[in-house]
Amino acid sequence: MRGATAMIVAAGVVALGLVPVLAPPFYANLLIPFFGYAIALLGFNLLFGYTGLLSFGHAMFLGLGAYGAAVMAGENGIKSFEVVLLGVALAGALVALPIGLLCVRFIGIFFGMLTLAFGMLTHAILFKFYHLTGGDSGMRVPRMNILGLEFQAYNKIELLAGPFYYYCLGLLVLCGLVMWRIVHSPFGLHLRALSNNAQKAEYLGVRVYQFRLAAFVISAIYGAIGGAILGFRIGLADPEIVHWTHSGHLVFMTVLGGFSSFLGPIAGALALTLLQDQLQSITPYWRFILGAVLAAVVIFLPRGLAGIAGTGAALAKRRAAA
Amino acid sequence: MRLSRRRVLKSLAATGAAAASPGVFMPALAQTGPLKIGILAPRTGIAASAGISGLAATEWAVEKFNAGGGIAGRKIQLVVEEETSPKDTIERFQKLVQQEKVECVMGIVSTGVGLALGPVVEEARALTIYWDGTTQDGVDEKLLNPKYLFRSTDNECEAVMSSLLAIKHWKGQFKRIAGINPDYSYGRNNMAAFIALLKRFDIEHEVVTEQWPKVGTMELTSHVAALKAANPDLIFSSLLFADLPVFMKQAHAADLTKGTKLVFPAAGWQHTLMKKDFTPEGMIFGHNTLYFDNPQATPMQKEFVAWYAEKQKDYPNWEADRAYFAIASYKEAVEKASKAKSGQWPGVDDVIGAMHGLSVESLGGKGGWRKDNIADQTFVQGFSTHNNKYDFVTLDPAKIETMYSADLQKPPGAKFWDWLKTAQFKI
Amino acid sequence: MSLIANLLLGGIFHAAVLFLVAAGLQLVFGVQKIVNLACGSFYALGAYFGITLVTLAMNFGLPAWLLLPILLVAGVLMAAVGPPIERLLRTVYDRDESFQLLLTFALVLMFQDVLRLVWGANPQSLNNVHLVYGKLTWGDLSVPVYNLLVIAAAGATAFFISLFLRRTNYGRLLRATAENRAMAEALGVNVRSVYAVVFTLGTMLGTVGGALVVPTSAASLDMAIEFVIEAFAVVVIGGLGSMPGALVGALLVGLIRAASLVVYPEFEILAIYVIVIAVLLFRPSGLLGKAAT
Repeated sequence: MRGATAMIVAAGVVALGLVPVLAPPFYANLLIPFFGYAIALLGFNLLFGYTGLLSFGHAMFLGLGAYGAAVMAGENGIKSFEVVLLGVALAGALVALPIGLLCVRFIGIFFGMLTLAFGMLTHAILFKFYHLTGGDSGMRVPRMNILGLEFQAYNKIELLAGPFYYYCLGLLVLCGLVMWRIVHSPFGLHLRALSNNAQKAEYLGVRVYQFRLAAFVISAIYGAIGGAILGFRIGLADPEIVHWTHSGHLVFMTVLGGFSSFLGPIAGALALTLLQDQLQSITPYWRFILGAVLAAVVIFLPRGLAGIAGTGAALAKRRAAA
Repeated sequence: MRLSRRRVLKSLAATGAAAASPGVFMPALAQTGPLKIGILAPRTGIAASAGISGLAATEWAVEKFNAGGGIAGRKIQLVVEEETSPKDTIERFQKLVQQEKVECVMGIVSTGVGLALGPVVEEARALTIYWDGTTQDGVDEKLLNPKYLFRSTDNECEAVMSSLLAIKHWKGQFKRIAGINPDYSYGRNNMAAFIALLKRFDIEHEVVTEQWPKVGTMELTSHVAALKAANPDLIFSSLLFADLPVFMKQAHAADLTKGTKLVFPAAGWQHTLMKKDFTPEGMIFGHNTLYFDNPQATPMQKEFVAWYAEKQKDYPNWEADRAYFAIASYKEAVEKASKAKSGQWPGVDDVIGAMHGLSVESLGGKGGWRKDNIADQTFVQGFSTHNNKYDFVTLDPAKIETMYSADLQKPPGAKFWDWLKTAQFKI
Repeated sequence: MSLIANLLLGGIFHAAVLFLVAAGLQLVFGVQKIVNLACGSFYALGAYFGITLVTLAMNFGLPAWLLLPILLVAGVLMAAVGPPIERLLRTVYDRDESFQLLLTFALVLMFQDVLRLVWGANPQSLNNVHLVYGKLTWGDLSVPVYNLLVIAAAGATAFFISLFLRRTNYGRLLRATAENRAMAEALGVNVRSVYAVVFTLGTMLGTVGGALVVPTSAASLDMAIEFVIEAFAVVVIGGLGSMPGALVGALLVGLIRAASLVVYPEFEILAIYVIVIAVLLFRPSGLLGKAAT
């Protein structure tokens, strides 16, 4: 299985790497948010797929990343995107710690509602503390340098379609590798154990509460990194990013791709990005179709796109064996 | 290990650099075939009514222009995309410019989206004309000296005009003022502009309460009770979405509007929902740049309003005028630039040059472009009346006021709040 | 003094509408264990259809005082969307609750466009028909009788629901199913039909709430998404699945909102979320709910 996953990853990286070269320039720009979402969802799925905690307020951490980038780069003139990434990752951890301490005492629907409430509290604060956050107009996220390089010859659209695209691809691979290590470490196994049966896991000596908290904090760090990429791309941190419907879209992507698979959420982010782009051009009623797709996935494909791939692979194997 | 990873990343970045070297991105300027114009308009959510009005006016204009041979001989073809969140709207904009290869983009109603899109417009070097959505805070910082972006009049114009009217007509008749404004930059700035102008004209006043309902709040009875308790002489409100008729209805039911002076600069956004049943006469009522029932309207406005009423079973709001102004002034500029190049299709820079100082007759009155890419338009406000054939209020024909925005917005280079303190206003 | 009375009335009116929608949420959660994000969409549906039916009736020449019954009919008719949606949800009853939540989120997305397709993107509102019942004026206090009727209707609903749940056989059946589905099934309860009935009732509470509020308000496309959060606040504060909790939660949210407007307007929305979080932290089962697990 490891070999198969590695092959899929390699093929995926090559395919994504060819997008700026082969596809029209628009697509490289379109995929930047995908990288942001993919990284955020790697973390989100540690919480949802592996630990069994469904957060309906996770967009608050993406907001933290975007606003963090606005504060660091826009207000304080930090030019290096790496510094900003480290900063928002740290901020994500610091904010997630107290919120997590409060939230992870609950599971199931209570955890979902508590995170939803925190998300909307964040949304309300961003709106109400108008003089600090710019209210609905948000805060500007300026252009930053990556790996110490300014890329002055590029305007931002070219930067996004070229160097920044590959930078994000690299970042996704890096974050993916780290997450792969996390979920296959004893820690990750513990998370899965307590997701399946928390009581049993506790008897076996898993510190349920601490492990859930750790998963929550890690997912927040990934969320903040993803949010910083979104902020860089949009050039603005705005309250829409933390709205509960945006959290809903994160869950949508994860389930579309399949939360029981490591790569599923990434596939889901890619699929939803491309699907929404196509639908918006075809019909003004694209929301309805998105809703219908979501309903169909929930009903007929509970394991998402990864489930289809898995079933296909199993069938092929059976056929080969026969 | 870490070092080599970094090196890998760097070489990856270099590959990217090769893939998309600077200059690859250039908006195409096809010179034959239909002229593609991209539209970004909201179609659902709070700003949908504006989007619908604007889209309809654009379609009307295109029908008219195409019947007359199009723009400089090329037929117009519209490509419509939806204005949603800042992130998605930027993507739709890039799709219009990079995929659809439109030659000009028009639209945008929300300030938040407009501010996010501004820098992208400049980097894409694509001529873009905003219909609306330029509240002052943030504009100076985020849309500084644009070249390709042409933006609408300051969103505070209507508040400045309403304030001036209130001062002119009601000076000395009010002291206790209250505000109920939407909780976002537009509402905040309008209220602040009103108070700044009261100070500017040395009018003794006391702010008894300021309410900031969240945009989309449909239950305002508690706000009404709080306003009523404050016992104001005058209420200033720039509510403009569905919450505006809701407020009027609930205020009427609680007798808040009886005997209180009302200053509503943005009421025209929902004018057909301002039913006579609950909207009093004599309130200062802003129709922005288009008052559909203006007795002094041009034949063109009358023709458009009749067409709109027939087609949409409704009467247009100001976004129709903004949209018409955008496409009409673009047509004018292209044709002027084309003439200057003896019939050749003009480049973007030529069109931009031709936009400056240009003036056209829009639906609601004269409009033009300043050298700093900011629009000047004609604003219409007045006092509400029940004396009409509709079930909603219109303006008292005897007391309609018209002002050109040159007298309502800051001159090039000035700061809005400083300008308010020193400007010479005509009242 | 009149300020307090006015604020109280405003807060209670808001609470009455919130209660209806929240009661629908509670009923469905209590029996089916589904958190329905689409409750706001039902509310919007009721509001839009209320306008349509009232306009039709007035054009038909029906007297204005029939407003309230017409709106009730509008709400009840729109509950017809309940059974097909319940049929859809039936496919995920045995799955993890996250699937149920997501399916209702899909409904939210779909409803937004369905409402736009049918009623257009412009907000809609009625004239002042609701003043047909007159106004009650007492010094500085002035309130439309209609608002009092809506409050009374919500109160009556609360009363009849509790009567229905406690005193009728079918109510006992519902409570038994809520308590222990497997046991109820084993004892011969047709759980499938119980679920269909409960979901339709829950839908009806939402659509009736929307229809009743619309004469004093307006119908708009974003009302669904805005309202669902407030309804959630109510059920969390009151306790998930608890009917008396919905009543207490609605009153608290309505009154806190009204009070904060006078004390500190900036705190309005924040106050509600802060209370929600406080309740979840210190009494996760809600003020009147059973212990959370």
